[in-house]
Amino acid sequence: MNERIHPLVLQATDKLRQGRISRREFLRYATLLGVSVGTAYALSACAPAAAPTAGEAPSAGAAPGAIVRGGVLRKGMLVQQVDHPARLSWIEGANAVRLVNEYLTVTGPDNITRPYLLERWEASDDVQTWTLYLRKGIKFNNGDELTADDVLFSFSQWLDPAVGSSMLGLLSYLDGMDSVEKIDDYTVRLHLTSPNIGVPEHLFHYPAVVLHRDFQGDWVKQPVGTGAFTLVEYLEGERAVFKARPDYWRTGEDGKPLPYLDEIVFVNLDKDASVAAMQSGQIDTFFKPRPSDFLALKDNPELQVKSVATANCFLVRMRVDMEPWNDNRVRTALKKCQDRQKILDFSYSGEGILSIDAHFSPVHPAYAERPIPPYDPDGARALLEEYAAEKGIQLPLKVTLATKNDLAEPEIAQTLKELAAPAGFDITLDITEPNGYWDRWTEVPLGITIWAHRPLDTMVPPLAYTADANGNPVPWNETRWVDPEFVEKLRKAELTLDIEARREIIGELEDIMQERGPIGNSYWTNEWEIIRKEFQNVVAHPSNFDFYYEVWKQA
Amino acid sequence: MTKFLIRNLFSMFVTMFLVSLVLFFLLEVAGGDVTVRLLGVFATPEQRESLRRQLGLDAPAWQRYADWLIGSDWRAQRLSPYPLTTMPNPQTGEQEWWAEVDGVLTRWRMVDGELLAIQRTADGREVTSPASVAWTTDETGAEVFWGVDTRNNLVKWVRGSDLEVLVLSKAGVRSERGGPQQYIPLRKGIVRGDAGMSLQTNRPVSATIFSRAANSLILAAAAFVLVMPLALFFGMLAGVNEGKPLDRIISITGLGFTATPEFVVGVFLILIFGIWLRWLPATAVFLTGDAIFRDPKILVLPVLTLMAAEFGYVARITRASMVEVMQSPYIRTAFIKGLPWRRIIFRHALRNALLAPITVVMLQINWLIGGVIVVEVLFGIPGLGSYIYDAAIFGDFNAVAAAAMLTVLIAVLTRLIGDLLYVYLNPRIRFA
Repeated sequence: MNERIHPLVLQATDKLRQGRISRREFLRYATLLGVSVGTAYALSACAPAAAPTAGEAPSAGAAPGAIVRGGVLRKGMLVQQVDHPARLSWIEGANAVRLVNEYLTVTGPDNITRPYLLERWEASDDVQTWTLYLRKGIKFNNGDELTADDVLFSFSQWLDPAVGSSMLGLLSYLDGMDSVEKIDDYTVRLHLTSPNIGVPEHLFHYPAVVLHRDFQGDWVKQPVGTGAFTLVEYLEGERAVFKARPDYWRTGEDGKPLPYLDEIVFVNLDKDASVAAMQSGQIDTFFKPRPSDFLALKDNPELQVKSVATANCFLVRMRVDMEPWNDNRVRTALKKCQDRQKILDFSYSGEGILSIDAHFSPVHPAYAERPIPPYDPDGARALLEEYAAEKGIQLPLKVTLATKNDLAEPEIAQTLKELAAPAGFDITLDITEPNGYWDRWTEVPLGITIWAHRPLDTMVPPLAYTADANGNPVPWNETRWVDPEFVEKLRKAELTLDIEARREIIGELEDIMQERGPIGNSYWTNEWEIIRKEFQNVVAHPSNFDFYYEVWKQA
Repeated sequence: MTKFLIRNLFSMFVTMFLVSLVLFFLLEVAGGDVTVRLLGVFATPEQRESLRRQLGLDAPAWQRYADWLIGSDWRAQRLSPYPLTTMPNPQTGEQEWWAEVDGVLTRWRMVDGELLAIQRTADGREVTSPASVAWTTDETGAEVFWGVDTRNNLVKWVRGSDLEVLVLSKAGVRSERGGPQQYIPLRKGIVRGDAGMSLQTNRPVSATIFSRAANSLILAAAAFVLVMPLALFFGMLAGVNEGKPLDRIISITGLGFTATPEFVVGVFLILIFGIWLRWLPATAVFLTGDAIFRDPKILVLPVLTLMAAEFGYVARITRASMVEVMQSPYIRTAFIKGLPWRRIIFRHALRNALLAPITVVMLQINWLIGGVIVVEVLFGIPGLGSYIYDAAIFGDFNAVAAAAMLTVLIAVLTRLIGDLLYVYLNPRIRFA
C-alpha cells in the first residue's frame, strides 16, 4: 500500500511509543488525517501495547457462513416530518434518512472516523486544504452514478443560509461554495479559511447526507440516495417502511450485496408504548431507551442490552442577555446548587458519569481532568444575597425553569428546584411536552436542553457558544453567550492537532466555562441499544445512530 | 315524522355552521404564529411575512373563512384568464390544481425573472418551456399575469417589477426579483370535501384524516357494540333486583370500573395479558395500514379498556332509571292486576326505563370517537384523537379545523339518531 502519511501522524506515532497517548487516541488521529485504519493499526503495532481501552475493535462479526439473510426489523420510534435532510434537527429523522442516503464518512461507535462514500481523504500539512476522493461505481437508487457533482450540490445545500442547515455553523471555515472546488468527477477539494481538524467528523454530522444533484427539497417525495434501503412509505406520526435494494454497493460477508435484512419498519410509538411492545414481542427495538426503560428491560431474557458512554448531556442553560442570568453571580449560584451525584441518581438511575459545568466530556480525547464541583448552597446563597442587595430585591429570587417532559428533564428540574431552595432560588417549573419546548428552546430565559453527543470536543462549542460574522449569536446559541476569550481559544483548539497541546487549551476552555459560562451540567449519560436476542451484529452508537446494514436476524 | 326529520336536519346544519364559525374564531384567536413553527425561531420578520402571504394568511379573516368553507376557486377563477381544474398527481394521487390553456394542463414557475410554463402531457409527464402568456396591464401600469404555480396557488406575477419578494421553496427561503406578488391558495372548501393542506405533513389533510378516523371509528365501534348490550342488560338486572346481592355486585363492580381512569385499567391490562401471560399483544403496533384487519388481536386490550370505562356509567344510569320506573304507580298497578312478571318488565317497564340511558349512550359515542386519546396514546393507536392533539400542538390549523368538524359531524349525527330512537321509544315526544 502506497500511502502518504501525514507528518503529524508520524509525530503521534512517537508519542504513542513513549506512552504519552493511548493507542485508541492514536488510531483516532491517524485515521482523522487520512491514514487508513489498516495502516493505523500497523503503525500502532510498532508501539508497546498500551493498556487495552474499552471500545476498541468495534466489529462484532460472526463466523462467515453463519449469516442468515432476510427478516424484518421493527423499531418503535417517532416518525417525524422530514423535508430537506440538510435541515434535519432530530436523530429520529436522521435515522430514517440514513437508510436511504449516506455520508461521506462514518464515525463508528469507537469514536474513530473512517471514509465511507469517500475512498480516502488527504489533509495538507497545515490542515487547511482537504482533498476528498470519492469511491467510484456507487449508484443511487435511481440508477445514476454518484459523482463530485452530487457532493458539490450537497455542500451547496449545507452552505446556503436559506436552507437553514445546522451544517452551516459547523462548516464555518468554508466561505460558501467558493471554498469547494471540483477537481474531477471523483475529487473535491475544500479550501478552508482557517485550519480545522474536524472535517471528516463534520461530514458525518447527521444532516450531512449526500443528496442527488437534482434533489428538489422534499425527501419523502424524492427519496433518492445511495443507501442500502429504499423508502416504501413514510407516514408522519404513523410509520415508515423501508425495503432492501438489491444492488447496494457494499457486499456482506457472504459476498452478496448488503443489507442482510429485507425490511425495516419504524412504528410511531411513544416510549411507554414501546416498552410494552418490547415486552410483548411486538417490536424488536426502540429508539433511545430512557433510564426507566433500561431498568425495566435490562433483565429480560429475550433482550440484549448494548451500552456505550457518551457526551450526551442535559444542560441547565441560562440566557445571558436576560435578567437575572446576565449577572454571572446568579449563574454561578445556580451552578453551585447542583448536587451532581443526587441529580444523576434521581434522574438517570446513576447510569452516567459526573461532569463539570463545561460542554466537554471525558469521552473526548483531549478532555482535561478537573475536579467535580461540590454542592454548595451556602456559597450560592452568599452570591445571591450580594446580587439581591445590589438590585434592592428580596430573596428568594423567583425564576422559571422551562423544559420538556421527556427522558430525564422533569426529574432534573424537580431535583434542582429542591436543591436550589436553600440557596434562595424559588424555581417555578414550566414543563411541557417535547414539541412545546422545542418551539421555544432558544427563547426561554432558563431551561434544560438536551445536547447530543458529538465525537470531537471542538464540534459542539462552535454551534452553541459563538457568533456569526456580524456578531449575532449562531442559530443554536440558545444562551447568547459569546465570550471573546473563549471563542479565541476555541478557534485555537480547532487547529491544534497535538493532543497534549490541545488538552491544555481545552482545559482553559473548561475553566472559562466553569467560571463564567452559561450552563450547568451535572452528568454525561450512558446510552443503550436494547434489542431482541435474535438480532446479531448490533452496535450501540453514542449518538443513537442506527447501523442496521450489517445486522442480521437469526432464523 | 317527516317534519320532525326535516326540523332536526335543519337544526343540525345550523349547529354545524355555528360551530364552524366559533371554531374558526377560536383558531384565529388562539392559533399563534404558525410561521414560527415552520421556519424556526431564527427566521427574519420578512421571511415570516413572506410565508404568511404564501399561506394566504394576509387575506382578511372573513375571506379565509369563506375560502375554507366553500373554496377559493370561485374568486380565483375570476382572476385567472384560463379555466382552473384539479387533477390527481400520478405518483401520490393527491389532487393538484392546473390551468387549462387550450386544452393543455399548465402551471407556471418564475426562474430569474423569466416565466416558465410547465405543461402536463397526456402520458403524465411534465414539460417545461418558456411561457408565452397574455400579460395584462393593471391600474398601476404594471404587466401582470395570474397563473397557477407548482404549489397549488393562484399567483399574481408582475413582469419587470423591481420589488424583491421572498419565496419559500422547500429548500428554504430565497429572494426573487419581479416574482409572485400575491397568492390565493386554491382549495375547494370543506363543504366540497377539501380540507386544505396540512402544514405538518405537507400533504392534503384528507390524505391522513380518514385513515386516522377509521382507526378510531373501528376501535370505538367495537367497544360500543360490545359494551352497550352488556351495560344495559346488567343495569336492568340490577334495577329489577334493587337492594339484593346481585344488584350490589353489579353496582359496585360498575362503580369500580368507572372510578378507575382508563390509563390505570389499560396499564393493568397490558401488564397482565400483554406482558405476564402474553396472551394478547400489549400495544396496537400498526406495522401496516390495515393492521386492524390483519391482526384483530391488537384491538382486544384497547377495546377492553374502553369497555371498562363505559360499562359502569351506562349500567348505573340504566339501573337508576329502571329502579325509578319499577317504583312508579303504573308498574305497581300492573303487578296488582296480576300480569306476568316477564310481560311487565319487557312490555311496560323497559321502554320507559331506556329513555335516560339512550341519551347517555349517544353522548358516549362522541366521547368514544374524539376522546379516546388516552387509550390511543397508551396503546400507540394512530387514531383521530392523537391526530387532533398533534395538529393542535403544531398549530396546523387546517388539520385541527377538519378534524374538529369531523367530530362535530359525528356528534350531531349521533344526536339525530338518539332523537329518532327517543321518538320510537316514547311516542309522546312526537307530539311535543
